[in-house]
Amino acid sequence: MSVKTGDQWPRWEVFKKDNDRRPYQAVGSVHAGDPEHALLTARNIFVRRPAAVSLWAVREDDIVSATAETVLAEMGRDNAGKPMHGPAGVYHVGVKMTHKRSMTFVDLIGTVDATDAADAMRQARELRPDALAWWVIPDSAIARTEDSEDTVESWFAPAAEKTYKQQQYYGTIGRHVGELKRAGLMPRQVNETPVLGAKHVRPRLEADADAPNPIAQPMTQSTAQPTAQPPQVTE
Amino acid sequence: MTLTAQHLSEQQKTALITRLQALADDEIILAQRDSEWTGHAPILEEDIALANIAQDEIGHALMYLELRAALDGSNPDHLTYFRGPREYTNVQLVELPRGDWAFTMLRQYLYDAYEALYLDALRASTYAPLAEVAQKAVREEKFHLQHTALWVERLGLGTEESSRRMQDALNTLWLYTEQLFTRTQDEDALITAGITPDPATVKARWEGLVRAHLERCQLQVPTVSPLRLSRDQHREDLIYLLTEMQSTAREFPDAQVW
Repeated sequence: MSVKTGDQWPRWEVFKKDNDRRPYQAVGSVHAGDPEHALLTARNIFVRRPAAVSLWAVREDDIVSATAETVLAEMGRDNAGKPMHGPAGVYHVGVKMTHKRSMTFVDLIGTVDATDAADAMRQARELRPDALAWWVIPDSAIARTEDSEDTVESWFAPAAEKTYKQQQYYGTIGRHVGELKRAGLMPRQVNETPVLGAKHVRPRLEADADAPNPIAQPMTQSTAQPTAQPPQVTE
Repeated sequence: MTLTAQHLSEQQKTALITRLQALADDEIILAQRDSEWTGHAPILEEDIALANIAQDEIGHALMYLELRAALDGSNPDHLTYFRGPREYTNVQLVELPRGDWAFTMLRQYLYDAYEALYLDALRASTYAPLAEVAQKAVREEKFHLQHTALWVERLGLGTEESSRRMQDALNTLWLYTEQLFTRTQDEDALITAGITPDPATVKARWEGLVRAHLERCQLQVPTVSPLRLSRDQHREDLIYLLTEMQSTAREFPDAQVW
């Protein structure tokens, strides 16, 4: 039932559809033992809050990817160095069009009929020559959540009513960073002397490479360095 | 007929408060046990998943406690953090120590199946606010049930070790399931008025569902009689669970923000 690679469960790329008007978008990956398990964990990880109506999961081995830089498609190998093998049939085409969005890697833009993965990749590149990266995925490799009303209700509907609490909602234990900055207690630049309590720690210099690191002091003095000096601390 | 708080007799109100608190207490204690896995679950994905489930259960507890608050003006936080083990009314099933992953998943499965079916019946409650809450919570519970049913199946039909651990867990947990279906104080008054479902009816559906699944997973339901326990009886484990769960609140009773 489950497929193992080494001592890890296989990795599955997760695609989420926010609503009927949006494409499936790659949102990240999960490790799971089988397709059903992949979808269940994907729902827990990627759909606790945001809106969604459907999830797909595809084993990474079944995805063929290429980038504009490498254009490995010509050589019949994809970004992972795998030959572009795959069944004849329908392939989903995913493209990455921009570096701007941090949450979404690839949007699925449509399907092509192809003789194999290399053919699907060729068509994907023709379809969107301006993409930064292309993915092609055999339709047969996709594990899907059900479209039934019951599944949508139990998997996706509750998330829409949950809200985030912004970090500032919570009180701060101790003093807030902004307050420390205003009081001049935080270093403004990386090479400025850091403040540790009331004591200023001398910045560590290249020349000090052999001296004990004042931050990472060993718990006991090494016998190899009987003359090691304690960290210099100036008031 | 649809009832609101004004329609309830004093007896019904008292009985409903008892039932709401029992429902909430089961959720709170189970969620606390689940949360003990945070940072320790077998894989990251399941760590997050179980934390999600625990948070959902806490969410359900809050819904019940808000219904209680509407009846008697009680404070949900206060009830949760400042009652001792003698005042908690959860079943022992949820206070048993967390055990291994098989034990955790099986307990959650047995509970999810019970809760999903209880809520399903509760949707028909004549007390409108309760029917509304059930309608909301049942959706999440159906998803929990799918997740935990999958784990029972994978471990039950997995390796020799996983199946042995599942069977061991079932041998212990089964004894504690009966308590989920015992009536709370004066609950008859609620059942007659259609405010809460008859636990015996829920139990019949529950047994059908879980026995079929356990059988599919090649697990043997123990033949010994389940324990007959009241919701006032607790194990020593609850003392330690509450001590940890309530420590911050009791340390800082005047805290304004959580």
